[in-house]
Amino acid sequence: MNPPNPTTQIRSFIFENFLFDADESSLGNDDSFMEQGIIDSTGVLELVEWLEETFSMKVQDEELVPENLDSVNKLTAFISQKTS
Amino acid sequence: MSCQPIVMRQKTVPDYLFNSAEKFPGKPAIFHGNKSLTYHELSSQAQSQAAWLIAQQLGAGFRGGILSDDPFEYVSAYFAIQLAGGIVVGLNTQTSERSLKALMTDSGISVVFTQKKFHRFLSPVASQLQSLKLIASDDEFPCRGTKYMWVDRQAILRTNLQIADFPAVQPDSIAQLIYTSGTTGSPKGVMLRHANLVANTSSIVSYLKLTDFDRVMAVLPFFYSYGNSVLLTHMAVGGSLVVNQNFLYPNVVLDEMLEHEVTGFSGVPSTFALLLNRSAIHKYHFPQLRYITQAGAAMSPKLAGQLKKVFPEVEIFIMYGQTEASARLSYLPPEDLERKMGSIGKAIPGVTLKLLDRDGRPVADGETGEIVAVGDNIMEGYWGRKQETDQVLRAEGLWTGDLARSDQEGYLYIVSRKSDMIKSGSHRIAPKEIEEIIHEHEAVHEVAVVGEEDEILGETIKACVVLKPGMTCPPKELLLHCRRNLPAFKVPHQIVFFTELPKTATGKIIKRQLMADG
Repeated sequence: MNPPNPTTQIRSFIFENFLFDADESSLGNDDSFMEQGIIDSTGVLELVEWLEETFSMKVQDEELVPENLDSVNKLTAFISQKTS
Repeated sequence: MSCQPIVMRQKTVPDYLFNSAEKFPGKPAIFHGNKSLTYHELSSQAQSQAAWLIAQQLGAGFRGGILSDDPFEYVSAYFAIQLAGGIVVGLNTQTSERSLKALMTDSGISVVFTQKKFHRFLSPVASQLQSLKLIASDDEFPCRGTKYMWVDRQAILRTNLQIADFPAVQPDSIAQLIYTSGTTGSPKGVMLRHANLVANTSSIVSYLKLTDFDRVMAVLPFFYSYGNSVLLTHMAVGGSLVVNQNFLYPNVVLDEMLEHEVTGFSGVPSTFALLLNRSAIHKYHFPQLRYITQAGAAMSPKLAGQLKKVFPEVEIFIMYGQTEASARLSYLPPEDLERKMGSIGKAIPGVTLKLLDRDGRPVADGETGEIVAVGDNIMEGYWGRKQETDQVLRAEGLWTGDLARSDQEGYLYIVSRKSDMIKSGSHRIAPKEIEEIIHEHEAVHEVAVVGEEDEILGETIKACVVLKPGMTCPPKELLLHCRRNLPAFKVPHQIVFFTELPKTATGKIIKRQLMADG
């Protein structure tokens, strides 16, 4: 069986922890978490902790920027870059 | 423990904007993202909106709400409402339908300035708000068949109306209601007069030695009293504010500080914990940074020490206050930071602080007493809550609920706080409000909400729950229930189930024990 796709894993994490019972269509993969008010500063820390545990990667302090973390697609690209 | 009262001219809050617009018309008042607004532009926007508000004949002392995270919109609407003789109600943008309805109903808001992203909270409750007449937003708000009307805010701005005839706003008029979590559960509106805000602003400006050269990094929301005082103090001197209030990515804030050559930075302990522990701050150098202010909760000596180490040349002001005091009551001068570590300093200019026992008598030197404050910055009272006002505003002054002792040199040290308020990030959260929501769930028999120490946030929220016999309920379901009814920042970080809660002989839950249970 193929390992789960990171995009699917990210979406599950976001819905499970921040959007709860919201409709799947309420979050586009390019939607900014910041603009949409989905995540607050604690949420970013939870997200980073989850990334580090799930994908066995270390996120450096200088990598905590919206370019890496602020949408599902940005996260997918960041994970791919860090784990390749 | 008293200082010389400061002498000031009788003024109202919008005078700050007018004076600065007259002296520095072309100077940026606010930077946000890649945009800025000069004092002249800000004053024009405020006047256009004020002229429109006056034409609506909402009556003296009408309540104007602002539900916006756009600082240009927030600040221009803030001054507009006051110029038109109204009372500003800054609404927390981290909200829920239920919270919004409660605050708007309590304050009797007749007009609200808002943005599209908040329509989803306002839409379901707007028709239930008896006092609501007008919604000013850049985007259409559906209002067919309703008592309220949507008005295009951009169209108001395009009128470029200037005010010829101001309503008479007196220093004693109420300028603003700031909602603060109360021990009763529902937030209370702290009524601040123009004179209260002016007195506190003047005092802060004097001890921070602010001038028009100052440019502050404003990360705290304006709807809380600390953010509000950062706004007013810098507007008062004709300084500039670089605004980034979501603080999701501290590195972005650091870049903005560098780009705009900020001279000041104001934060709560969690702001500094994030900067010191989860940002690349050690790789930055800020040659223009002159002062840092910290308030909102007690900062641990360890964190204060770390901050001093990172910014050895910067003046660090530890401050203490309450919304009920317009913001500030005391500060520790930077030169005393290391010598008086852990102290909240002494009264700010214009304020007297006393330590009193339960009967209103001064405590003996070195003894613990409640901090009672007197000064022109002390609130008028709580909006529509005389009984609760009378409990804290007594003959001796404002009873803060905070217990402190004084050392031989008159420096104050907080010993404990009387209320069980949770301080998480920049928020003050009443456990009772969360307990009431959780208790509404059919499976819950009993609940107690406590704060748990957290290195970054100061405290996180822990809900200790006892289920009804025979009932089951996964934590996720309770969290979902909270999420539906509470703003995100009030949703517990953890839910722990108990078979019973520890109680005193009289049946009172022993929260201290629950905090210790981890």
